[in-house]
Amino acid sequence: MEDKKKVATPVGGDDLEGVQKEQNSIPTTKAQRSAKFITTGVKIGGNYIKHYSKKLFNPDMDKSELNEDNAADIYQSLSELKGSALKVAQMLSMDKNLLPQAYVDKFTQSQYNAPPLSGPLIVQTFRKHFGKNPDQIFDKFNIRSNNAASIGQVHQAELNGKKLAIKIQYPGVGDSISSDLKLIKPFAFRMLGMSEKELDIYMREVEERLLEETDYELEVRRSIEFSTACAGLNHVVFPEYYPELSSKRIITMDWLEGKHLREFLATNPSQELRNQIGQALWDFYNFQQHELRAVHADPHPGNFLITPEGNLGVIDFGCIKEMPEDFYYPFFSLTSTNLLDNKVETIKAFRHLEMILPDDSPAQIEFFYGQYKEMIELFAMPYINDHFDFSEASFFDKLYKFGERFSKLPEFKQARGVKHFIYINRTNFGLYNILHELKAEVKTDTYKPHVVLEY
Amino acid sequence: MATIESIQNAYIDYVLTEGIQPKSVYIFAKQNEMTEAEFYQFFGSFEAVEQNIWADFATKTLTEIRAQEVWAQYAAREKALSFFYGFFELLKGSRSFAVYTINKQPKGFSTPRVFEKLKDIYENFADEILKEGIESAELSDRKFFSKRYKDALWIQFVFVLNFWINDNSTGFEKTDEAIEKGVNVTFDLFQRSPIDNLFEYGKFLVKNGAIKDKIRF
Repeated sequence: MEDKKKVATPVGGDDLEGVQKEQNSIPTTKAQRSAKFITTGVKIGGNYIKHYSKKLFNPDMDKSELNEDNAADIYQSLSELKGSALKVAQMLSMDKNLLPQAYVDKFTQSQYNAPPLSGPLIVQTFRKHFGKNPDQIFDKFNIRSNNAASIGQVHQAELNGKKLAIKIQYPGVGDSISSDLKLIKPFAFRMLGMSEKELDIYMREVEERLLEETDYELEVRRSIEFSTACAGLNHVVFPEYYPELSSKRIITMDWLEGKHLREFLATNPSQELRNQIGQALWDFYNFQQHELRAVHADPHPGNFLITPEGNLGVIDFGCIKEMPEDFYYPFFSLTSTNLLDNKVETIKAFRHLEMILPDDSPAQIEFFYGQYKEMIELFAMPYINDHFDFSEASFFDKLYKFGERFSKLPEFKQARGVKHFIYINRTNFGLYNILHELKAEVKTDTYKPHVVLEY
Repeated sequence: MATIESIQNAYIDYVLTEGIQPKSVYIFAKQNEMTEAEFYQFFGSFEAVEQNIWADFATKTLTEIRAQEVWAQYAAREKALSFFYGFFELLKGSRSFAVYTINKQPKGFSTPRVFEKLKDIYENFADEILKEGIESAELSDRKFFSKRYKDALWIQFVFVLNFWINDNSTGFEKTDEAIEKGVNVTFDLFQRSPIDNLFEYGKFLVKNGAIKDKIRF
């Protein structure tokens, strides 16, 4: 039945957005989600049948229509699923590099979508972790949530005249992450055309990070560590965290007043102010990457607030990516023109990063060298001079065009690159995107990459 | 001097250490330095002791949740949720005993006798919040069905109890999820829903004699 409808609307890979069916409800339970995947599986099966029956009459037909049909159905199913499944799809596609913007827009909307916690469950969570009701701990506690965080919700409270933000995690998020990942695997293989073994490395990396996000005790420790380490940065502010009022499922921190990026931009801020915020973002990320070697790897606009004083407030340290030396040096050294001009050393760096593999033929080496060099050149553009204007649309057009071409090349069907790319790419391209939205001009030599010129 | 509580505690201790009920009230009384008569002053049988322990869990839960500051703000749905969370939090402290009693109940559809007193208290509570909910129009007042709401809540309770017994997640987090999802679904069904509208529509068609004539084209 479904397939007949599909025949009537053949879909081109590039304008998927145009045919996006309206999404009325989000499948939330695991059973519902599995069902969603099953229908997609059935549809894909149907697409194959359709393909082969057409092929009976027209043997010359190639597979491109089939691939388009499949992509459309998978995409449809993924965008109806929120939560970790979508997050994974988002990140895997980021790794495949710079999808067309329509996808990126859709994917970045992904959030863990769960119904709000009931009042009694909040009380229960507090009793479980502190042995007390929230109103026994705080002077005031608003049982109705103010905001959804990615895997929990935020409540406002007051203690000793101080306004606090309390983040409470949905129960069972950890389990749902693991089961979502298991569900998505077979589809990811098909969607990205990777083999199970290749994909597994990336999947494990993603699972590790996502599960870390569910450990609120870890998040509090890291938040304190990072906010202390970054305290010297101009125009970057952090809430204070209260470990004694936090637990595995609860985080207590100061309430930051401020606007989210969208709201901030809607107030039509001056170029000067936009530059100031952009600079703060740039410094925040590059200080972490190059000085701390560990980075807040979730540059989602929802994780930042712009305070009335024109400072950048950072409110979520759930996702931290640590960079080992053997990734950091080869990768960031490439951002220096001195190295990238030296072909022999560049190829060495690519080998370290597994972008060129040991059994590649000389022709393949040449090919990948060319492609990756182009990619790195684009990526490194902001670093080349001492400042960069992120409002430049041409830079982003080039990025997207390159990404689109890149993802269509048959040579990239095979997974390449060490697992660290997933999060580092997401972080940096995410940062570029936010800066682009801000239309900020940024001094890019404040915290420079440490470079090794030879191996 | 024996009290209700001391007998209950001694009983719990006995069954958990021995794994079975005492052979007779005489032996049990003797071990706990009281006379058989003293025991019968409070309880008619061991089963009555167990009934009472379970009933106490419910009473204690109710006292505890009603004392919470937010209680007055809660709608019926939240009051029910609050009871579930409170009850299972309290039961955690006596999990071994709970497992012991539940596992020795014969499988069947009727309510085991040990739960009878608990069920009474629970149903009184359910009745009270359901009435409140219907009065405030939070819940839909349906002919025949609204009287059965409390049965649905009891089934829910038995379900969660069994779920909890088999739950081995840390901190019984899965049980929390089962409560949150289960009770919400149950209350969603109690609320006005498309089914009511469908029913109303059907009633309308029947009343206006439309079905018989129109259905044959």
